[in-house]
Amino acid sequence: MRRLTRRQRIAALVLAGVAACLITLDLGGSGLRPAHSGVRGALGALYRGSDAVLGPVRRFAQGLPSAGSATATIARLRHENAVLRGELAASTADRATQRQLAALQRSADRRGERIVPARVIALGPGQGFDWTVTLDVGTSSGIRVDQSVTDGDGLVGRVLYADPSSAVVLLCADPGSGVGVRDVRTGQVGIATGNGSAGFTFVPLDPAAAVQVGDRLVTGPAGATSFVAGLSVGTVSSVATAADRTTTRADVTPTAPATGLDLVGVILAGGQPATRAPLSPARSQPVAQAGH
Amino acid sequence: MRIRIVAAVAAIITALLLQATLVAPLALPIPASLPAVLVAAVALVDGPGSGMAFGFVCGLGADLGSYHPAGLLALTWLGVGVLAGALADRRGVRADALTAALVCAAASAVATLLLTLVHSGGATAWLALRQLVPAGVLDGLLALAVVPAVRAFLRTDTLRAVQPQLAELRPGPSGG
Repeated sequence: MRRLTRRQRIAALVLAGVAACLITLDLGGSGLRPAHSGVRGALGALYRGSDAVLGPVRRFAQGLPSAGSATATIARLRHENAVLRGELAASTADRATQRQLAALQRSADRRGERIVPARVIALGPGQGFDWTVTLDVGTSSGIRVDQSVTDGDGLVGRVLYADPSSAVVLLCADPGSGVGVRDVRTGQVGIATGNGSAGFTFVPLDPAAAVQVGDRLVTGPAGATSFVAGLSVGTVSSVATAADRTTTRADVTPTAPATGLDLVGVILAGGQPATRAPLSPARSQPVAQAGH
Repeated sequence: MRIRIVAAVAAIITALLLQATLVAPLALPIPASLPAVLVAAVALVDGPGSGMAFGFVCGLGADLGSYHPAGLLALTWLGVGVLAGALADRRGVRADALTAALVCAAASAVATLLLTLVHSGGATAWLALRQLVPAGVLDGLLALAVVPAVRAFLRTDTLRAVQPQLAELRPGPSGG
C-alpha cells in the first residue's frame, strides 16, 4: 500500500468536492442540462458511427439479426414492408427483423397511429445501471421528448432526450420510474413500478382490488400518464396481499423484455413531419382496440 | 506531457463508446464497466496522481452522457484511481488484473449505493450486493485484456510518466 503525497491528497479532496458539488447542482436544478445534452448529442453521433462497425459484432454475440448502415436499414425496411403487404416473397428478408417489423406494423394498424421503426444502437456509457438505450432516429424523423416506445407488443419506455439523429429512451423497467396502468379484467387502475430485468411491481390504488395471477395490465388511463394509453405492459405472475388486507402487491412479467431489445418503434403521438418514412396504418384497418 | 493528455482523451472516448455499444449490451444486467477498468489499469501503472485525474475526467464524461446526476461516476472513479494507484506495486499482469477487478467491483457497488442515496434510478442496496460477484468476474475478464495494453502503452517513450511512480524503474544512478 503506497501512501499518497500531500499534493495528491489535496488534489483528491478538491476533486471529490467538485464531484459532490456537481451532484448537488444536478439534483437541485437544471443548471447542468446544457452540458448533459451537449455530451449526449456528441456521444449519440459517435454511437451511430461505432454502431456501424461494432453493431454486427454485438448482434452476432446477442444472436440478433445483423444490420448495416442506416441507408441499408431504410432500404430493407421498405423492402420488408412490401413483403408484409403480400406483394413480394420473403426470399432474402431477415426473418427476425421481419417478425419484429410485422409486430410494429400490426401495432400501427391496430392503434391507428404512426410508428417510426428504430434500432437500439447503444446503452449508457458508464456502467449497466442506467436503464436507458440510444436509438438511431431523432427529431429529424419526428421523434419528440416523452413519446412512447413500443416493441410492437408491449411498452418499452419513453423518449427522454432527442437530437436530430439519435434519441435516448428511458426504459420503463428502470427501478425508479412508474407507469400508470389499468387491469384489463377488473378495470382497476394502479402504478406499475419498474423492477429491473425482473419486470414490474404492480400496486393497485384500491388496496382491496381483486388482482389475480394472469391479469393483463395496459397503460392508461390517458392523460393521467405520460405514456400512450392501451399499450400492453405485462401479465401478473404472482400476488401478495398483506395479512391486514391494507396493501396488495403483484409481480408482473413484462410484455416487452427490457434486455435484448433490438428493433423498436417510437409512437408519433403528435404526428410530426418525418424524414424517415413511418409505418402508416393500413387503409382497411381493423377496428379492434388494444387490450382485446 | 501534451501527448499524454491527447492519448488520455482518446482512450476515454474509445472506452465510453465501447462500453455503450458493446460491453453494456452484452453484459446486461450485470454492471460491468470498461472505463472503470481502464482507470484502474492506468492507476496501477502510473500511480494515484494520474489515476485520480484520469478517473475524474472519465467519470464526468460518462456522467454527462447518462441519465443520473453528473458527478456520481466522477466521484466513484476518482476513488478507483486513488485506490488502484495506492495499491500499485510491481506485480504481474494477472495480479494487477485481479486488483483492478476487485477495485472496480467495489466501485460499481459504491456507485449503485450512491444512486440509491440520491434516489435517482431507484437502485437498491440489495442490488448492489447481489451484483458484486458477477460484476467482479466480468471486470476481471476485461482487466485481463486492458491491463497488458495499458502497460504497453504507458511504458513507451512518448507516453511514459514524467516522474514515474515506481522509482525502481527510473533510469539513472540514484536507482535501486
